[in-house]
Amino acid sequence: MALEAISKQEIKSLIESYENDRRHALRIMQDMQRIYNYVPREGLEALAERFSCPVSSLYSLATFYRALSLKPKGKNVIKVCDGTACHIRGSANLIGSIGRELDIAPGETTEDGMFSLELVNCLGSCALAPVMVVNEKYYSKVSMGQLAGIFNKIREGEDQ
Amino acid sequence: MVITIDGIECECEYGEFLRDIATRCEIEIPALCNHGGLPGQGCCRVCIVEVEIKGWKTVVASCIYPVEQECIVYTNSDKIKRQRAMVLSLMRARAPASKEIELLCSKFGASRNERFIEQEGEKCILCGLCAKTCESIGSGAISTINRGINKDVSTPYDEPSEACLGCGACSEICPTSAIEMEEQGSLRKIWGKAFDLVSCEVCGKPYATTQELDRNAKVLGEPASRLCDVCRRKAIADVLAKTFGS
Repeated sequence: MALEAISKQEIKSLIESYENDRRHALRIMQDMQRIYNYVPREGLEALAERFSCPVSSLYSLATFYRALSLKPKGKNVIKVCDGTACHIRGSANLIGSIGRELDIAPGETTEDGMFSLELVNCLGSCALAPVMVVNEKYYSKVSMGQLAGIFNKIREGEDQ
Repeated sequence: MVITIDGIECECEYGEFLRDIATRCEIEIPALCNHGGLPGQGCCRVCIVEVEIKGWKTVVASCIYPVEQECIVYTNSDKIKRQRAMVLSLMRARAPASKEIELLCSKFGASRNERFIEQEGEKCILCGLCAKTCESIGSGAISTINRGINKDVSTPYDEPSEACLGCGACSEICPTSAIEMEEQGSLRKIWGKAFDLVSCEVCGKPYATTQELDRNAKVLGEPASRLCDVCRRKAIADVLAKTFGS
């Protein structure tokens, strides 16, 4: 997949923009996640060197939080709510359809790196159930028929 | 301060942990995730005891319960026996391959719980004592990863770790012998990495890895002793005997 080459310099300046204190590790990793769509290995190693702490302790942190991933996520992250209300309104079917449409299971990324599928807990918008969020845009009362259209639109948007 | 544990009066300081006090007074409280060299974690819950303060009884994990006022402690009341057996039977479902847990189960009468599927071949109870040990001796080669049902103990990226010294402390401290360490002649294998063992200068027994000795030398600022622990103890005893006479 097309990933921007990760510049060591960039990681270094990101890490050094924070104080040299281990309590900032999570914030820096969140930044990395935002910039690169994942926490790169180079990033974890640079962070361990900066804080003079074992890589294992940062690895432990990075694997603990779902918001961080160690594998590159797709350019567009699809979050499907599987809270109680959405579940009752058929989120499981929705997830199945998305899986068929894009050929991925929850937690996976499409081969072209365009989409990642994630299951999330209640998003707090139960009146809109079932809810799907793509790139922070909410899609309410999603039906299976709408999916292809939504994904095509996102793909077109990427082309421009 | 004086507290009563199983009818025995025990002298203790404010804030001391209950299990430490009991151990000092030779009262045995079983535990898996607690080791004298490290702070308590309170995760295995085998060391639960009942604490009675002013007539009120509560169940606490003795390894992390600091004594702050006079109390009466029961380490083997009916309630504790029942709860400890339950904890152990759950643990056996998690780690049925562990002999240590099996032994505790029979000792405390934990029945087999049909409701839970046993994880075949598993020995680890995920107490994290190994990771704590590794970190506290300064290597930090292993840590607990993921969470919930996916939690595990591993080296970063599941690869042989550069930080690992092959000292085997993790394997030694593991309460359920879950960490495999293979030793063949002067070769040791642990966490997917092979280490050369150095032999003791006196008895010739392979006793430590080169990496371990190099690190010791670096910390001490002088070459580490080339004697195994048995011979080293003997050597120190000899020196003492010479100094003070027998």
